[in-house]
Amino acid sequence: MMDIIDVFRIVVFPGFVFFLVLVMFCEWFSRKVFARMQNRRGPTQAGPLGILQPLADFLKLLLKEDIDPHQARRSITFLMPLLTLSLYIYSLTYFPWDGQPVIRNSGFEGDLLLLLTLVTFAHFALFLSGWSSRNPYSLIGGSRVLVQFLGYDIPLILLAAAPAFLSQSLSIQTIISNQSVPYILVIPWIFVIFIFILQAEMEKDPFDTTHAETELVAGYGTEFSGKKMAFINLAQDFEEVFGAALTAVLFLGGPSGPVFFGVPAFWSIFWFIIKILAVIVLLEFIRAMVARFRIDQVVKLNWRYLTPITLASLILTIWAAPLLANYILFLEALL
Amino acid sequence: MQTTETSCFNMIQRNFDQLILTATAPIQRRIFIEVRPGDHRDLASFLLSQNEYSWLSTISGVDKKDSIELNYHMSIGNDLVTIRTKLPREHPEIQTLTDILPGAGVFEREVHDLLGVKFLGNPDLSRLLLPEYWPKNSFPLRKDWDPSSIANMSCNTVIPIQTDKKTKTIEKLVRIVVGPQHPALHEPERFVFKVDGERVVDVETRLGYVHRGIEKAAESMTFLQDIHLVERICGICNTSHTNCFCSAVETIAGIILPPRAKYLRMVVTELNRIHSHFLLIGVAGFELGFETFFQYSLRDREIVLNLIEMVTGNRVMSEFNTFGGVRRDLTPETIAKGIKELHKLQKRMKFYKEFLETDATFRMRTKGVGILKKKDALRLCVVGPVARASGIPIDIRKNDPCTAHEDLPFDMIVYKEGDSLARFQLRVDEIIESIRIITEALTHLPDGPYRVRVPRRIPEGEDVARIEAPRGELIYYVKSSGGIYPERVKVRSPTQAVLNCFKPVVKGSYIADIPAILISMDPCFSCGDRMGFIDINTQKHWVRSTQDIIKTWRRGRK
Repeated sequence: MMDIIDVFRIVVFPGFVFFLVLVMFCEWFSRKVFARMQNRRGPTQAGPLGILQPLADFLKLLLKEDIDPHQARRSITFLMPLLTLSLYIYSLTYFPWDGQPVIRNSGFEGDLLLLLTLVTFAHFALFLSGWSSRNPYSLIGGSRVLVQFLGYDIPLILLAAAPAFLSQSLSIQTIISNQSVPYILVIPWIFVIFIFILQAEMEKDPFDTTHAETELVAGYGTEFSGKKMAFINLAQDFEEVFGAALTAVLFLGGPSGPVFFGVPAFWSIFWFIIKILAVIVLLEFIRAMVARFRIDQVVKLNWRYLTPITLASLILTIWAAPLLANYILFLEALL
Repeated sequence: MQTTETSCFNMIQRNFDQLILTATAPIQRRIFIEVRPGDHRDLASFLLSQNEYSWLSTISGVDKKDSIELNYHMSIGNDLVTIRTKLPREHPEIQTLTDILPGAGVFEREVHDLLGVKFLGNPDLSRLLLPEYWPKNSFPLRKDWDPSSIANMSCNTVIPIQTDKKTKTIEKLVRIVVGPQHPALHEPERFVFKVDGERVVDVETRLGYVHRGIEKAAESMTFLQDIHLVERICGICNTSHTNCFCSAVETIAGIILPPRAKYLRMVVTELNRIHSHFLLIGVAGFELGFETFFQYSLRDREIVLNLIEMVTGNRVMSEFNTFGGVRRDLTPETIAKGIKELHKLQKRMKFYKEFLETDATFRMRTKGVGILKKKDALRLCVVGPVARASGIPIDIRKNDPCTAHEDLPFDMIVYKEGDSLARFQLRVDEIIESIRIITEALTHLPDGPYRVRVPRRIPEGEDVARIEAPRGELIYYVKSSGGIYPERVKVRSPTQAVLNCFKPVVKGSYIADIPAILISMDPCFSCGDRMGFIDINTQKHWVRSTQDIIKTWRRGRK
């Protein structure tokens, strides 16, 4: 039996409505930060400082005509954006926003693996949506999605294993509670590679080959319009928040923070969002600094350099685990 | 190596005494030679062998009512030699030059399109500028052509777009259509890339989506109106067009420009070059997914646009040049302010130079990509920055200056690599040189009038004028029959010559390299009114006019 608090948690806070607000805020924030890095102003029109711009964009797309390509598999092109979106929403519910997951007691030993698997599914859905729309740009974009993610999912999972190893758990809850010192201070080399691979997972520069405007128009999303495009865009915003939240959980200590008094739920969310925004700034900074790689360069970079480096750094972490344990104790004493 | 016009002229006379019908050298560096059709091939190949850096600038055809006159404008070192032949109007046929110089093909196609001259031996005489549904025996540049015949033209003809039935392997490849509308293009132009995985196997290009018939329109307008018409050929290099047109007409009318006007023209042309190059390197950043660089360079471009506005009164369409000089003078205050602003820009250029030399991701995408070899560039008549990036030292500002460039020292930038990166770097270096030229010109601006009066009636005569536009050699052939209307205005914009080399360069590269290569050539398809449709079910391709689309659209609305 679910009681009223559970329903409230799922629907309003920290569930669906909160996610939407958070994701739209994060999109506005990343757009604003990216614009300032580029000497631009970013959104300014809708609401104060343009803060309502993501909402306005979303509503506008919802109201626009939804065009189906002539030969496309309608069921797949229609379902895939929704599937991608719902996979990301579901993934977000496992993060302890106010100290515990959205569905209380749903966290279990191994939910980290579940999340990483869901992300892989979401990427596969993107590939299918591009493949089913039968547009040459989408075909090439879709095949690039596969090439890129098959390569980068493996290092991502390997790297996520390092914090899990240090905290002796595959549960997000336990990783946070065992993280007495943010792991970014303990294993910074893993963090650097993780951020880099996250950039690839989120298809941002220099890894936005899958929807490179000047080559493939919009890649797998070329034929999306109206509602489908609204959902795909929203799913990408969810993906960015998911990536940032995952980084915050694994390396920045998740919702725990230095100032913690009064209502614990408020401070949990406060610190979690601050950490998410910090990761977004970092990701946008990389995006603003580089040009797009060519797909062959992406593949080469992955299989020739990143996968071996990832393996080596993971082995290094496991080998140095006893040393790191002492180091953590030292840092604890220092803080 | 460098021939002067007299020695070149004498040499031609010595070697081809038998063949030459008439030969004149009216002004410095211009030679006009008339030969019989057929002999032009011998003369052309002789001229090409005389100088390493020689190319065919363009072919201009004139309908003389009793015959069709073809002028082959060849750049031989510093000289511009015009080989002229006359063809019978009923069956105009002439041997092609493509076997001697492959780059001549595109010019022959244009003359074939607009004047109906058949080039025997040219393998590809398909439509270049006109739409496919254009009637076979209607040639717009002939004098008896009636413009009202367009109204009765049927535009609904089904035209099959080239499909490869010869080889089955090609059919297996994915065809990617880029354009006429595509985010990588800023002007309509159609490329069909055949790709195998991520590799480009072949490319078909189709120009002419914005063919507006300006050469024909120029014949029905007065010389003075034509200045404003040619200015609108291209928004980015508008002063180059007016500068070139005015200097051709001034030569015909025998007007000598006051020195101040020469300097002011040069200043505006160089400002134009800076803003064009800035746009290019910015767009290059955008094409390579480097949005930050795009935003930065467009912001710095504002300085130049403001300067252009300050000097000419307009931001883009400057309306500055006119016959006999320019339309506005500069005050000492504007000069001081201009020099100050240029100094600011000069400092910013260090950032761009360093960026292209050091940025890892940008270099990864452009270094060694789209290499154009020097030999190919010469064969394909490539001009301007693209040629200079492949190690060909041709710059009309040095070779054949018509403004004040001969008075001012500047360096011709030449790169040997011939790849996309070299083409971008060359532009940044040229901006720095241009800033130097303008600063120098503004500090040493001669006194005197900025304009002389020119009669409205231009005496009979002809001239070929050329200047170095931002994209390369821009050439105007103007022929006056002694009235207020020109008899013929022929324009060869640099892009037409540069795009020759796109196909050979892009073959074998990655899809992702296409924008990097295309944009490094800085194409400007400024030259419409139609759209193409493809029905995937029936594999039918057809072309429709805007009117039809509006009609169907209205029907749909009712």
